[in-house]
Amino acid sequence: MRKIKLYTIIYVVLFVFATVQVLVEFAGFDYWTGLVAILALSAVKAVLVAGYYQHLVHEPRSLTALMVGSLFVALVLTTAAAFSIM
Amino acid sequence: MTEDAHAENGHDGLPPQTAVKRWLVTTNHKDVGILYIVTSLFFLVFGGVLALLMRVELWTATQTVIAPGAYNETVSAHGLIMIFFFISPFAFGFANYVVPLQIGAEDLSFPRLNALSYWLYLFSGLLFGTSFFLGGTFSGGWTMYAPLNMPAYTPTVGGTTAVLALMLFVASVTVSSVNFLTTMHRQRAEGLTTLKLPLFSWTILLTVWMMLFAFAALLAALLILASDRIVGTVYFQATEGGSLLWAHLFWFFGHPEVYIVFFPALGIMAECFQTFCGRRIVGRKWFIAAMVLVAIQSFFVWMHHMFLTAISLEIKTLFMATTIGISLPFDLMVFALIYTMVKGKIRYTTPFLFSFGALVLFIIGGITGVFLGAVVLDYEFRGTYWVVAHFHYVMVGGATALFGGLYYWYPKITGRMYDEFLGKVHFVLYFVGFNLLYFPMFVAWETPRRVFEYHQSFVAWHQLASIGGFVLAAGFLVMFYNLYKSLFAGEEVDGNPWEYASSAEWSVSSPPPFENFPGLPSYGDGRLRFLTPGRGGEVADGGTATGDDALDAAADPATESDRPQSDGGTVTAEAARPEIARDETADTALPDAEAEEEHPDHASYWPLAIGLSAYVTFLGLSGIRMDTAMYPALTGVGLVMGAFSFVGLGRESFHVPEMAVAERWPFEGVENGKLGMWIFLASDVVLFGSLIGSYVFIRVAYGWTAWHVVPHDPIPGLINTYLLLTSSFTVVLALVAAKRESTRGLVASLGATVAFGVGFLYNKGIEWQELFHEGTTVGSSVEASTFFLTTGLHAAHVIIGLLIALFMIAQALKGAYLGEEGSRKVEYFGLYWHFVDIVWLFLFPLFYIL
Amino acid sequence: MGIDPPFGKGLVNVIVEHALHSGGADDIRTTFDIFREIFLVFLVIGTAVGVVVVAYMTYNAYKYRDGNGTADSGDVSRPELGELPSGSGGGKKLFVSFFFSAIIVVSLIGWTYGVLGYYEEGPTEAETDEALEIEVTGYQFGWQFTYPNGHTNSTLVVPQDRPIRLTVTSDDVFHTFGVPEQRVKTDAIPGQTTKTWFVANETGQFEARCYELCGSGHSYMTADVVVVRQSEFHDWYDNRSAAENETQADDDPDTETGTDTEGRLVGVPSVTTPNHATEPTTIEP
Repeated sequence: MRKIKLYTIIYVVLFVFATVQVLVEFAGFDYWTGLVAILALSAVKAVLVAGYYQHLVHEPRSLTALMVGSLFVALVLTTAAAFSIM
Repeated sequence: MTEDAHAENGHDGLPPQTAVKRWLVTTNHKDVGILYIVTSLFFLVFGGVLALLMRVELWTATQTVIAPGAYNETVSAHGLIMIFFFISPFAFGFANYVVPLQIGAEDLSFPRLNALSYWLYLFSGLLFGTSFFLGGTFSGGWTMYAPLNMPAYTPTVGGTTAVLALMLFVASVTVSSVNFLTTMHRQRAEGLTTLKLPLFSWTILLTVWMMLFAFAALLAALLILASDRIVGTVYFQATEGGSLLWAHLFWFFGHPEVYIVFFPALGIMAECFQTFCGRRIVGRKWFIAAMVLVAIQSFFVWMHHMFLTAISLEIKTLFMATTIGISLPFDLMVFALIYTMVKGKIRYTTPFLFSFGALVLFIIGGITGVFLGAVVLDYEFRGTYWVVAHFHYVMVGGATALFGGLYYWYPKITGRMYDEFLGKVHFVLYFVGFNLLYFPMFVAWETPRRVFEYHQSFVAWHQLASIGGFVLAAGFLVMFYNLYKSLFAGEEVDGNPWEYASSAEWSVSSPPPFENFPGLPSYGDGRLRFLTPGRGGEVADGGTATGDDALDAAADPATESDRPQSDGGTVTAEAARPEIARDETADTALPDAEAEEEHPDHASYWPLAIGLSAYVTFLGLSGIRMDTAMYPALTGVGLVMGAFSFVGLGRESFHVPEMAVAERWPFEGVENGKLGMWIFLASDVVLFGSLIGSYVFIRVAYGWTAWHVVPHDPIPGLINTYLLLTSSFTVVLALVAAKRESTRGLVASLGATVAFGVGFLYNKGIEWQELFHEGTTVGSSVEASTFFLTTGLHAAHVIIGLLIALFMIAQALKGAYLGEEGSRKVEYFGLYWHFVDIVWLFLFPLFYIL
Repeated sequence: MGIDPPFGKGLVNVIVEHALHSGGADDIRTTFDIFREIFLVFLVIGTAVGVVVVAYMTYNAYKYRDGNGTADSGDVSRPELGELPSGSGGGKKLFVSFFFSAIIVVSLIGWTYGVLGYYEEGPTEAETDEALEIEVTGYQFGWQFTYPNGHTNSTLVVPQDRPIRLTVTSDDVFHTFGVPEQRVKTDAIPGQTTKTWFVANETGQFEARCYELCGSGHSYMTADVVVVRQSEFHDWYDNRSAAENETQADDDPDTETGTDTEGRLVGVPSVTTPNHATEPTTIEP
């Protein structure tokens, strides 16, 4: 039961964060500030889902490393490619 | 069936090797290895004949025998076939056969998936072959530069077929990578820590890691390309960086691919130098460290293929530095091999000659590669025969060692020795032919690549090269004759025909017994022994020698902590059943009443069936925009066959025991199925990452803030976010219910997931419908293309997830998936579903808000 | 095409040409000079390293052959079946060799990096005449050259000894523009522009061509490059304008340019003297 409670809390947080993302958009912040805030919220949501719903926190760290590694590969491609034409 | 066949069947559940049926249903790694080797040799001949065609055309400086368009097809197909359908699968034939033997595993972790990899490979190759008959195959070079790869410039159906064939090949590679990684990380004999792996296995381990990530990027590139060609998106024809986007995606895959192709060859060189010099590799740890460095660095050098494009000087400098960085570890490896010969007892057998020759060729390829590392020289060498000669010295130089491997393991695979004299004849023809073929290309380097008209002054050099090509080809005739003849007439060999061979495959008979080992292999006390399963009693001594120089058998600490865990001991059918790829539906996992003492299964028709359905589907897709009913019909038939096959695979009871005791660093405590799922998801991260990266790249090229966000308002996207988050929550509940053995809770939760997922798709459908009505279609702008394709691929993931969920509901109603063991499949499905959720968490802001 | 420029007969040529050219220090460094110098150094060092390494390998393979007696001396431990893999000693020698090879590679590349900046930017205005800026557009299957005054031409006519700056792009697919004799090359990418430059020290007729597979006409995708004396160029250029652009971009070059077995020396802009193969002096005013 404690587990279900935890999962429910996380669900509510995710729900709220998604709403906040859209609110940030309508709040009329500076574009780049809004961009950073919105992406940061997405990142937090992703970490919550991966950490608890996919229970990475309870798995060996090697699995976390695997996922971080693959994310890193994708980010290298994205940033270096974008940087090359800036 | 004969008495003998029955006996065989009784033993391993498979018809004898002389029966055709055996080869259609087998999932045994040694059988699959042989299938890979034979098939890849067929593609060697295919690609080789195309090469000879080119050499005939290049005999004179003007166009003679092949029409211009056909020449481009020949060039392109030669490159694609050799790189994709020959070299890597050839190496993976050996990997399939040898790696489980070297690491002490009975088979790969997921034998059916291994067979599936093979069939996908075979059918992708056949599909590529078919493309020749559909108006001509792809003719834009193996690098497939954009926008020449667009239907506006390469309009044939066959061109699209070739692209889809490559996608199918990538599917095969991905399944294979997941399988090998799980196997090699979790099924090593006790005491065989990662660092102690034989060098061939080491190279394969690094190769599959590179494959996992590199091929995911290629898949992204091919998906976009196929979408541009079939659906009508406009990525690569976009003047806002479309052409450069292809170059980035392709070379991000393409450079690691060079090492993916070369590493297995390096491993074979190391094994052959060690065996035939009778010396352990000098500086083994450094050799391994160098390889690990190269494998990592290979993802940071790709832009050196783009020095002449519009990329900035800063990034060129950065990539020049990383390029020098990656060349240095190879120096160390080369010297390590050379010094291994010192104080050796070298026997000039055919495998050694090929390995030695490969090293010489690689040195030449490496030195000429340093030329290309100097940006100023690279500017001039770009697009010339210098590049052609260089990469043939490296890649075909690598293949040289693979042929050495073929001779090295031939007696192990067939139980008979090849003809040594003919082997040496082959080597001489090969080495002379090779250098005669490729060295003149350095001299005539100013010839542009991929032309049939070149400057008169180079004619003599090209004629020399053509002669060399035919000498090289003649060598292969000798090889094929030798291999065929020796199959019947070769001298029979015992387990180990090579003095000083040390790895485990030589400690069993030739060919090895079906289960590979007479007992559970273990290096627990520093050298190979075979233990009686479950007892720990000693059965046989794997080595021939007596007490040796104290090898540090210090098992890695992980072993100790791992042993008591539930992974070990008796393993039920459930636990070990392969189930990972998103397209593989869940297993029935119903307890089989008649199974007394469960034997491992080794036969399944479903991998073949899935491969065939994929062939039919993709063949249909490639021409679906044509005005005939045939192609859509083929697509439909293929999809139905595929659905039937996947359900068949899912319902089949297929038992694979997990190793009782094994080295499992660094994935102790993550059972095979779960690890496989995670590794697959890692490749999916790179797939989606590359697609999102493509979006970012195009948007940067377009002007980030000048970009138009396609959906008018973010509310439908927000609603979909709510729906998907909720469906993730219900999957969590499903797992809890399954663990509590509540069929009702499980079915209800999964049902809710399906409902929310359908809601998601419905909402998306409405949104798309509205956009289409307004005239915003997939091809109306590059903004629209990125929106529809990226969210569309995500929707496809949702659909696949829903199909799996429906299958699982059907099984759950029959009482499946309950308890700690049974719920694992629900857990694996959850991992996939949450991943799809996470992807949406990023797609939503990127495509709806920002 | 009938052109037979005395360029690029391969490696030997480079060395010979280097010997012939090494005297002239009067001019600005051209891409041709830079390439030749670096290529030569790489070739010499590369060949030397290759020969030494392969010779040493072969020597070892011969010396330590089975039955030579060298093997059975001493206390070398041999690999045994079933052992846990391990390595032999000899790490020190390994690192010394590695160290030297690393020094060679890093210093070679580092040295070339020193000239990369110059190679990218070209000579400054102070060092030389004002550069001539020409836009190059690739298309299936030919090249179009646009001059500052708006004139477009299918032949690249340029003055001798003056930096030519090219801005290159493509109208359709990915091409690569290159003039091998001038050692100039850059990608022609639709939607992107790349820049490069060259200085032609000698008059004559050369060939520009495509270096990236671009379709069935790739092999034929060439254009003539004609280098003339500066005065001659001015005569030609002053009589051109955007108005009289060629309508047909891919005229047969032979009808408009003089060709000769010594094309490099006698090339002239065909537009002034069609089918005429004489000394450049003859058409000077």
